[in-house]
Amino acid sequence: MLTEHAAELQLSFNPHIVLGNSTIGLTQYTFYMVLVWIIVALIVCLVAKRLTLIPSNKFINTVEYGYQFVRNDIGEGVIGHGFKKHVPFLATLFFFILVANFVGLIPGAGAATGAISVTWALATISFVYFNYWGIKAHGGLGYIKSIAPSGLPAPMVPIIWIFEFISLVLRWLTLAVRLYGNMFAGHMVLGIFALATSIFVNVGIQMASPMAALSIGWFALLFIMYALECLVAFIQAYVFTVLSAVYVSLATSSH
Amino acid sequence: MDLTIVLSAMKVIGYGLGTLGPGLGIGIACYGCCVGSARQPEIAGRLFTNFIIGAALAEALALIGFVVAMIS
Repeated sequence: MLTEHAAELQLSFNPHIVLGNSTIGLTQYTFYMVLVWIIVALIVCLVAKRLTLIPSNKFINTVEYGYQFVRNDIGEGVIGHGFKKHVPFLATLFFFILVANFVGLIPGAGAATGAISVTWALATISFVYFNYWGIKAHGGLGYIKSIAPSGLPAPMVPIIWIFEFISLVLRWLTLAVRLYGNMFAGHMVLGIFALATSIFVNVGIQMASPMAALSIGWFALLFIMYALECLVAFIQAYVFTVLSAVYVSLATSSH
Repeated sequence: MDLTIVLSAMKVIGYGLGTLGPGLGIGIACYGCCVGSARQPEIAGRLFTNFIIGAALAEALALIGFVVAMIS
């Protein structure tokens, strides 16, 4: 019973057209991505218009706290000197991923970050960004040289350089797959638990024995998983932003 | 037994094996970060950043395993 429902659940994760037709249309993931753009842009524009020196509105204060978190904890804490020019990029990444993850947690909605294409695009933006700043800081040839840490014995340099280069390219893959894997697997687990809850509670009602009341334990498990996914949604947004900041600081720092 | 079932089972087993190393690695990194910041709370921020970098490096292997299990 669970397996046939699970197959149906798995199908619902495949992209399908929700708006328009198959030539020009939005799948559910791109639809939620556009929705998240609009939400983030609206929130930021509304708040930026009504900024005051002494915040009195709780909502504005919350958004300001979020920005301060990105600026101080992620920007200043990780990049250090010269972090100010990277704050807009980091804040954009953080707020987009955070809102996308939390929109995905609404029952019935999908997370834009649960699609590999969206996370590839985000990782590509981050990859191009830190390479651009690395080249700007060291110059083209200097950046290629700076991939290997300085102070190595000369024969070791090419070997270490190749390893460091592979790890540099792998950052691209891991940034994308980490976010995608966490979001996709998390939603799949939530879906499986919801299915199991409904099946076991139904069976429990049909049995009508006092022991069947134990099946309500699945419901408690579903709640716990949901709370865990809320934590994961925040942590993944944080990790993506921190890692982007770390890569920027590694690319721009002089060894 | 059906070959496709064996194949998909092997994929899951392979991914499970691939998570062992990174799981241990992240656990050890988290242990070090906790112990270090308990002994010297003033460098907790820097330790945490290093922990995130180390965890990302260790996690890369598990993520490659995930990708290989998905595409093979």
